[in-house]
Amino acid sequence: MSAEFVFATAQYESGDWDSAPLVPPNIIDTIARYTEISVAPTGIIVPLSDDRMLRYPLLYMTGHLPVRFSEAERRNVKRFVERGGLLFVDDHNHDIDGTFHKTAVEEITRSVGALTDLPNDHPLYAAFFKFDGPPTTSHELNGWGDNLVHKHLLAIQRNGRIAVLYSSKDYSSEWNYHPDSKRFMSVDNTRFAVNLVVYALTA
Amino acid sequence: MNIFAQLRTVRMVLVAGVALRALVWGIVAAITLIVGAALVDLAVPVSLAARSVLVGVAVASGVAVMVALSWRDRSALSLPRVALWIEERFPALEYALVTAVELGDSEWIAAGSTQRWSTTAAGRGARALRAPIALAVIGIAVALLMPSGAVARMRAPHAGDSLERARIGKRGSRLTPLVAEVNPPAYSGEKTTVIDEPNDIRALAGSVVTLRGRGNGAGVVARVGADSVGVVTRGDRWSITLHLASRPAAVRLADSSYERIIAVEPIVDAPPSVTLAAPAHDSVLRVARGRIPLSADMTDDFGIAAASFEYIVSSGEGETFKFRSGTLGATQPNARRASIASSLLLDSLALKPGDIVHLRAVARDANNVTGPGVGVSDTRAIRIARADEYDSVAVDAAPPSDADKSVISERMLILLAEALQTKRPTLKRDALVGESHSIALDQKKLRRSVGEIVFTRLGGDPNGEEHSDDDSPQRAKTMQELLARADSATNRSSDPIDFAGGESPVVAVNKPLLEAYNAMWDASTELEIGEPGRALPHMRRALAAIQKARQAERLYLRGTPPRVVIDISKVRLKGKDKGTTNTRRALTSSDSAARARADRFTRIVELASHDAGAAVDSLLLLRVDALGEEPAFAAALSDAIAAMRGNKTDDATSALGRARRSLSGAPIARDSLARWGVIP
Repeated sequence: MSAEFVFATAQYESGDWDSAPLVPPNIIDTIARYTEISVAPTGIIVPLSDDRMLRYPLLYMTGHLPVRFSEAERRNVKRFVERGGLLFVDDHNHDIDGTFHKTAVEEITRSVGALTDLPNDHPLYAAFFKFDGPPTTSHELNGWGDNLVHKHLLAIQRNGRIAVLYSSKDYSSEWNYHPDSKRFMSVDNTRFAVNLVVYALTA
Repeated sequence: MNIFAQLRTVRMVLVAGVALRALVWGIVAAITLIVGAALVDLAVPVSLAARSVLVGVAVASGVAVMVALSWRDRSALSLPRVALWIEERFPALEYALVTAVELGDSEWIAAGSTQRWSTTAAGRGARALRAPIALAVIGIAVALLMPSGAVARMRAPHAGDSLERARIGKRGSRLTPLVAEVNPPAYSGEKTTVIDEPNDIRALAGSVVTLRGRGNGAGVVARVGADSVGVVTRGDRWSITLHLASRPAAVRLADSSYERIIAVEPIVDAPPSVTLAAPAHDSVLRVARGRIPLSADMTDDFGIAAASFEYIVSSGEGETFKFRSGTLGATQPNARRASIASSLLLDSLALKPGDIVHLRAVARDANNVTGPGVGVSDTRAIRIARADEYDSVAVDAAPPSDADKSVISERMLILLAEALQTKRPTLKRDALVGESHSIALDQKKLRRSVGEIVFTRLGGDPNGEEHSDDDSPQRAKTMQELLARADSATNRSSDPIDFAGGESPVVAVNKPLLEAYNAMWDASTELEIGEPGRALPHMRRALAAIQKARQAERLYLRGTPPRVVIDISKVRLKGKDKGTTNTRRALTSSDSAARARADRFTRIVELASHDAGAAVDSLLLLRVDALGEEPAFAAALSDAIAAMRGNKTDDATSALGRARRSLSGAPIARDSLARWGVIP
């Protein structure tokens, strides 16, 4: 098995799992930029219904449309979490109680358990960069989305570590740009992804 | 009364005596069995199963004794034997009575001497009854003298009657006897069950379990995990009441130095299982009109309270989506198995191109304690096609494609050529060349139609290769040359095609047809010179190529995401200085819980070698902890516990071995050593 970290995007049968295709390279670029973690230069897309998904410590899942897991997907998500994986689910709709939110939360609850607020002083926010909670996104503040700032991420914790991390903050929109465009930014908004990866690999 | 009538009277008295004696001995046998079992039960509890068959066994024993005694004394029915019996008691008869019976002549006996026979017979019968009646009286007296309820436990045994069992000797633990009464939640419709001396209680989550013992409850301590449970005393009984949650628990009971552990295993009410029968698969519709029939089948272990279809309509694309949802066909089956049906009117949803309708069936059970359990079917997506994707969703009937028609034609030409080759020896040269030329003309027409397909696809010019009816001297001599021409016709560029590095999709798709085209050309050349035998291999090659072309899968590619490859070295500014990041902790092994369980199991097995009782309790607690995550392990532990309680060493060893194997996982079977001789 390769020792390098491979960023994996979860493919599920329902919905538009590939709605943020530039997030993986952007996060890989960020990992390479700030850390010495050995990282694969491209991400991988892995079906949730395929046992290969169990090989990756971090799975990124997003979309706009309703999430309905098949039996195989539900079973694999449960196994993935039981084996210590971290499933990061981000609502690409950046809304509360939208359809992605309702259906994804329902499926996660059925597969793994109930989501609860993740405290803003959780070790995740200090795993690499220091944050006082989940970084806000422009989509929360520009009035285009739901015009709400979400104070917490949601999570399911197992044995003291995060097993499922759920975000309504739409990092998928926030990070969905070509890595070369980072040079136009005064502050890199993908730094939180470093915390996410470092936490998934070390916690 | 003559002597024969008197003799029959004596026989009747003797038979009655025999019957009565057999009956009373039978009753004595039955009473002895029941009273004896009751006496044993006072010292050692007799199991419910044994007591349940005891009455039947007692009756059978009584009947057996009665039949045996009656059979033994059946000679009382015989007149000669009755006569002999009388002769034995009245020797003065000097065999006159036996002679009279044998000869049938009553003159041998004086009439006056017969009266005493009946009296003697009655007395004999009465004497024979003394012993059994005395024993029966003793048995009944013993039964009456026994403690209250002792005989009733034998006569009418039922679950939970261990509390009514009388005891001999000093008072022991109040934890024995113990009875558990399990009241399932009302929605399940299940009956109350009673368990004597429970060690494991399996009951539906939400059930109320009452543990009852004898005596005053003061001093009896009950705990579930770290929580204490109140002990209630009512009369001469103490009890505790537990409400079964959805997690297994161990109930610890303590009475001074006595302790007892009872595993309580909740059976979780499974949510309904739902299968969406129609629509059977995802679909793409060209227009959003009409009615889609919906049907679903569902089952539940206790009953389905509500069922319906749910739909979500998602509209929009990119970053802008809107959703609508609703339910259809809501029913309340109130049955364990149900089928529901409805229909979705597409017109009423006002769907637009690009909209997606997500459909599923949902069922809820009647679980009002830990539920309701919700079961959902797979989701089907019905998408309304956009105008720009009609080519991939056309469902209109269409005639066979040109490629299909070409297959048929080429096959016919091959048949003709084969027939001509078969009859070639019988034909003159001119006739052979004439017929072969005729086939060559058809082959040429077919080649031209294939060429039209290919070159229309490639460049829009159906005459891209053939400009006249005559054979073109510029015909490509090789596949590479032909494909180069095709590609240049498509791309209008003079760049050479890189066959090694990959082809454009257009060339790749048309390659088999181009090959067929070339083979047909070779075939027609051979046919024109009257050589159908040499033409046939080319024709068959053409046929195979056409079939390959028509069997090729058509791929409709959606936009693929841009493939961005990060140049890690570049991002890291190619620096050689490897700075250190923050300290990382070692990754916690994900199977730490399983390892901890294995360690605990090992310690318990070691404990079993010198303290089996403690090991059983520890195994019970381990079983309770493992029930949720390792059911196979828990089942093996259950067997081990049962075997250890029954002092069955071999069974316990086998069950513990199974438990160990289930912890370690399935053995890995390999056909051979790994390639490098390393077993991973």
